[in-house]
Amino acid sequence: MSRRDEHAEIREQLALFVAGALEADAESRVALHLVTCPDCSAELERWQVIAGGLRRLPTPQPPAALFERTRALATAQLAEHREQRRNLIVLMLLILFSWAVTLAGWPIFRFATGGLLSLVDVNFRQTWLLFVFFSLGTWLAGGSAAVLLSLYRRHERRLA
Amino acid sequence: MGIDAAVVQLRRGDPDALTTLMARYQNRIYRYLLRLVRQPADAEDLFQQTWIRVAEKIRSFDTSRNFDAWLFTLARNLAFDHLRRMRPSSLDEPWGGDSPEDTMVSRLASADPGPLEQLLARERAGRLVVALEDLPLSYREVLTLRFEEEMKIEEIALVLATPVATVKSRLYRSLAQLRQILETNAGGEVRA
Repeated sequence: MSRRDEHAEIREQLALFVAGALEADAESRVALHLVTCPDCSAELERWQVIAGGLRRLPTPQPPAALFERTRALATAQLAEHREQRRNLIVLMLLILFSWAVTLAGWPIFRFATGGLLSLVDVNFRQTWLLFVFFSLGTWLAGGSAAVLLSLYRRHERRLA
Repeated sequence: MGIDAAVVQLRRGDPDALTTLMARYQNRIYRYLLRLVRQPADAEDLFQQTWIRVAEKIRSFDTSRNFDAWLFTLARNLAFDHLRRMRPSSLDEPWGGDSPEDTMVSRLASADPGPLEQLLARERAGRLVVALEDLPLSYREVLTLRFEEEMKIEEIALVLATPVATVKSRLYRSLAQLRQILETNAGGEVRA
């Protein structure tokens, strides 16, 4: 590369040089060229005036009340999310509990109504129907409890 | 509390961690938004939205990634949505505040104690801010991220979701155009 070509290429890179956006090898090449080239050094100074000005621009301050206002809103959002997550976990646990009660309660129910032996000698059609009614009853009771609980919590929140 | 620790705590829903992060980033985020939308009232609104979005989305943040880039990306997306909603042509309109006093320059607070120094610094900064406002949005953005936020080129690439080479070329073009504006305004010599 001729001296003239190198000179032109370095000139092109001076803006990125002051922005610290050159790769290490390109940066070294520019720095090396600058030592021997007063023209490029003068040009670099012009770019440095701009870059320095940009770096020293005063920081606009947000209004003081904005921080508190935003913090209150974001904290409320955070609390809402936390409650949603907690509700989801409670719901999952309730579902698990309902299934556990349904499955565990079935043999007890059968024992109370027809004895354990009937579990061995099952009439499939009748057993299936009984199981459906039993499950529906259990889930209905669980659902009603969940609705009542949610209404109670809403009422509490309104009071708060 | 450090940034990383605060982020971890915030993911667990700790409101104190949110306060820590807000205190740490409030000036930077506000400045960035103000440079993008130029209107202080809009920047304030977007500032609020950004932190509400942080509270909403923090659980989806991968702690192995760069929090700065994630936060600025959230703010950027909100700002661009806002600018798009206003009308696309408004993206690069010159500053048009309602009151002549209510400009971005008037919002710039100077920390210099000496009155003369303060005056000169304000004048220089004012000239530069006016020139910045004449730049297209993408140029203003890359300049503020590099020089004011002091982000690395790779971080800027993450925020802008563009390759590093694109960030560099945009940075070059924005500096060249800024210099041209400053020289035109100053009658041929850079005096930023």
